[in-house]
Amino acid sequence: MASLITCPHCGTRPKEEFSIRGTALSRPHPTASEEDWHAYVYLRENPKGRYQEYWHHAGGCRRFLIVDRDNVTHDVFSVVDAAAIGRLSE
Amino acid sequence: MSLTLYHRHVLEDYLAGSEAKANPNHLAVIRRPAIFSVLAHRGHEASVKETLTSTDGALLRDCAPGEWLLVSTASGAAVVENLLGEIAGASLADQSDGRVLLRICGPNVRKILAKCVAVDLHPDAFSIGSSANMLCCHVTANLARSGADAFEIIVPRSFAGSVFEEVMEMGREFALTAAFAEG
Repeated sequence: MASLITCPHCGTRPKEEFSIRGTALSRPHPTASEEDWHAYVYLRENPKGRYQEYWHHAGGCRRFLIVDRDNVTHDVFSVVDAAAIGRLSE
Repeated sequence: MSLTLYHRHVLEDYLAGSEAKANPNHLAVIRRPAIFSVLAHRGHEASVKETLTSTDGALLRDCAPGEWLLVSTASGAAVVENLLGEIAGASLADQSDGRVLLRICGPNVRKILAKCVAVDLHPDAFSIGSSANMLCCHVTANLARSGADAFEIIVPRSFAGSVFEEVMEMGREFALTAAFAEG
């Protein structure tokens, strides 16, 4: 069964149209300590359960999305454009 | 030494020797469409879309938020470029030689496309004039519904051969034919 992701721009699409770009972490401040940058670049939680990831809709609108999903049950809780989140925090 | 350059379509070899008579399910390869990619600058999305929608003789295809393809089969790329001129708050690029326009129509068109794309193309879900980017035969393409049972597929030029062969393969059980069309 195909996993279906509802892109906010394109509608419901199969997972084959997307490429998963890893955990949605917030980028540290440029002057943050080396430990913070090391954690941001290399360290991942890899949880079993609910997880927020960047998904790139490569086969569609080519936008970066943040997919909030459960990697055990495959439930998708929300899909939002990453730019929308970024603009909120600006 | 003078050199005469002829326009040669990328699907020329694929279509050589194909049947001349079109069946009800038919794939037309448009020989020289004008295709422009338009990107709206941030904050200008609505005004650019309004300008593009009111452009005569050109059809607008949705790609992404603030990104469209402008397609014209009536006039050449140079004519469309003059017509568009400078759009305030947008950047455009001529993609006419970089994209291939395929027009597929017929009573079984949805059954054929169901094997190519993973998007609901039911008449109620995908109305006439709708368009979107999607994977078509593993290639990112723009698919638009141009009529009751007619769709237009825009694919990157270098992938056109592969998409064409796969669409023809999927249409074989419905006797899909293919030929060039002028527009």
